[in-house]
This record gives sequence, structure tokens and C-alpha cells, in this order.
Amino acid sequence: MLSALLVSLKVVGVATLVIGVVGTLLALLLARARFPGRAALELVLTLPLVLPPTVVGFFLLYILGRGSPLHDWLGVDLLFTWQGAAVAASTVGLPLMLQSARAAIAAVDPELEDAARTLGRSEPEVLLRVTLPLAHRGILAGLFLGAARALGEFGASLMVAGNIPDRTRTLPMVVYDAALSGDLALAAQTSALLSGIAFLALALTRRLEQPARR
Amino acid sequence: MRRFLALLLLLPALLLACGGDGQEESNAPGQGQQTTLLVSAAANLADVLPPLLDAFRDRTGIAVQVNFGNTAQLAAQIERGAPVDLFLAADRQHVETLAAKGLVLPDTVRAYARGKLVLWTRADSGLTLSSLEELASSRVGRIAIANPDQAPYGAAARQALRRLGLWDALQGKLVIAETIQQAFQYARSGNADAAFTALSLVIDEAGNRLEVPPELYDPIDQTLAVVKGTPREAAARRLADFLVGPEAAAVWQRYGYDLPALVSR
Repeated sequence: MLSALLVSLKVVGVATLVIGVVGTLLALLLARARFPGRAALELVLTLPLVLPPTVVGFFLLYILGRGSPLHDWLGVDLLFTWQGAAVAASTVGLPLMLQSARAAIAAVDPELEDAARTLGRSEPEVLLRVTLPLAHRGILAGLFLGAARALGEFGASLMVAGNIPDRTRTLPMVVYDAALSGDLALAAQTSALLSGIAFLALALTRRLEQPARR
Repeated sequence: MRRFLALLLLLPALLLACGGDGQEESNAPGQGQQTTLLVSAAANLADVLPPLLDAFRDRTGIAVQVNFGNTAQLAAQIERGAPVDLFLAADRQHVETLAAKGLVLPDTVRAYARGKLVLWTRADSGLTLSSLEELASSRVGRIAIANPDQAPYGAAARQALRRLGLWDALQGKLVIAETIQQAFQYARSGNADAAFTALSLVIDEAGNRLEVPPELYDPIDQTLAVVKGTPREAAARRLADFLVGPEAAAVWQRYGYDLPALVSR
């Protein structure tokens, strides 16, 4: 279980980074920019939330594997690596981040941003000193939810990264293997650990979603 | 505000550092001094493979890592270029499909073990079945079976029940599991009264088992092949030879498999 915990930490670490950076940028785009296909883009990015993980994994197998531009032209080979699992975890975690962060950014009063502009602030400054600080609760709440979902990722990772001890076996896979082989004690311990982490992440999210007390 | 922004920026940086460490770690075994093979293996091999691979490592110094899964999914991964060296399938069909596509080395395609289908019931279930026909009796409630469209042992169970003319009559009792392990767990946990599973999975279990007569289903010839293009082809061939060799034979039989040596090509 210890090696699976390490793999899970690596996967969730990278996935959280990806979800945080990519999610914030995409949320800004979806909340503020007007361009054709915006609604379609949002739908496609939200799809992993409702698709069976095996379907996400099947798509990713084709996007990352032999015959894909990423694999054949750029020589990036992520199949059966923990980085591949991180891609799967990011894909399923991103929609949760987007929902929360997009709503938070959309709720920022544009007049406050305009006020900053009239006071001579550049666009990056407006973003970093007005928009993001005002939306930080929603962004962080989405990040925690997305990270929690990334930790629980199972089906898509199994397809893309396999279930290789010490390399790509994550905590949810330990539960699956243990339950199937009848090692109920290990399944229970690992489930308890995952439940505890998920509970903490949800508690943090709820706290952030409550309006500020000050 | 600033505190939160700092946290937002700091958190990924911290995690990146942690991720960076991991990368070096995970690259080490592949590029290290000794060869490590990666085998994709059907899930019914979960018990028998570890002792076989230990024996292989003791003899050759070659370590082997295993990716267990269901045969159809493992084949799909190999098709997309997963860096697997050797494929141990639960049937022949998936390996032959890969061979036809030029994805495994045709001369390495061999049956390594022949699976035996059994019907298993819990020791305390009060069900000691002496024939498959008794499944139709009202004493038997739910019967677990692996998905007959995907799992080779599920397909064999369906075939046997059809030949006995029981398949249609039992429809209302069947619960379909994803794999034979799951089918077995349904019965072991008492959620099903009986399960069709592989002898290899229940050989060390308490409980009653009834071997399904082999003439009722097509042989489950579990087949292996070396994946084409692997940089570790020589070592993969050695492992394939070992698994069909005399030393492995005793282990296969000990775990409830028959040897397909006489019918392999």
C-alpha cells in the first residue's frame, strides 16, 4: 500500500498542478471571452464528469497511444507510466474545477475590473490583483474538488496506465485488487484512507464556498 | 487575499517538486543495470504467476513486473503501443487477433495452460451439487458467471449450460460479473449461491466444487506471445520458454491448470 500511496501522491500532485493552471486559464476564457464554439468547448470539457471512466480511458488510449500525433510525431509515450495516469486524473478532475472557477470568475463585478483599468492598471495586473483575488474562493474550492476526484480516479487510469505494482498502481487499484482477491482487511484500510482524504477535501471545499465572514 | 494567492501558487510548486522526484525514481528501473520485463497477464493468473516469476528470476536474474487485467482490455492496450514485453492472455482468440495485425511475434504464439471450469459453492451453503442439472432446482437461487461475451470462462460456462439445455431455464438466476474473480467473490461473500469460476482461483479455498466436464465446452487454451518491437525481446522469449517448460509445468498443475503441451503449435 505504501508504494501505491507514493504513486497516488505523484499522480495527484501533477494532476492538481495541471488542473490548477489549465483550469484557471480555461475558466477565465469561458467566463470572460466571447468566441464561437464557446458553449461547445465547455460541454466537451465537462463531458468527463458524466462519461463512464472506461470511456474516458478508451478515448485517452487513442489520444496518447500509437497512431496519435502526440505519440507518433512528438515521440511522447505516456502509456503505462504514472504520468499517463496523471493525464487521466487531470481529465476527470478538470470539469469540477471549471464549474466552480468559471462561476466564481463570472461573478466578479466587471465594474471593479474597469475601475482598475481606468486607474492605469495593465490587463495582467487587473487579472492578478482584482479578478483572481476576488474569485479565489471558487477557484480553490474547484481545485480541491478536482484534486479529490483525481485521487479517486480508477477506470481511465487502468486503461491508460495499467495496474503495475510500484509504477502505476494507485490506491483505488489496491482496493479493487484486494476486494477481488478476498483481502478484505487491506481493502478496508485503503478505503478508509481514501475516504478520510476525500472527507478532508470536501470539508475544505465547503469552508471555501461559505461566504467570507469578515 | 495575498495569502490565498500565495497558497495557490505555492501548492503546485510544492507538488511539482514532489512529482519531479518521482520521475527520477520511476525511470531508474528501466535504465538500470538489470533487465526488468513487463508482462500483461489475464487476471486469473493472479495466484499462479508470482511463484513462477520468482522461480524465473532466481534462475535468470531477470525481474518481471506484471500488469493484471482483463484480456480484452490488455489486448487493446498492446494495440495502442503499451510498452509490454509479453502478453499472457486468458484465451487464444485475442492473441491471434494481435498476431493477424502484426503486433506480436507470430512464432512466439503458444498455449501455456489450459483452464478448468468449475462450479463452486460455499461450504456452509448446504449446497453440495453433484451435477449441473441441480442448478435448476429451487434450492439454488443466484448463480454468478463472468460476462460470457468478454471473459473466456464466462463463455465456456454459457457453452456448457447451452449444451445441457439449461441456459434458457437459468436466465432468471444468473448474475453477470465482470471477471471470474468477481463471480467467485459474489459466491464467497454469500451474495450468490454458486459461481462458475476457474479451478485455479478456488484450488486452495474451502467450499464445494464441481468440475464441469471438459467435453461440455471448448478448451480454454490460455495463450501467450511476445510483443513485436520490444527492446527486450531476448529476455521476453526466455520467459515465454520458461512458462511452457518442464519446471513451470508442475506449478501450473499445482494451481489447477492442465498442460496444453500436446495441443500447442
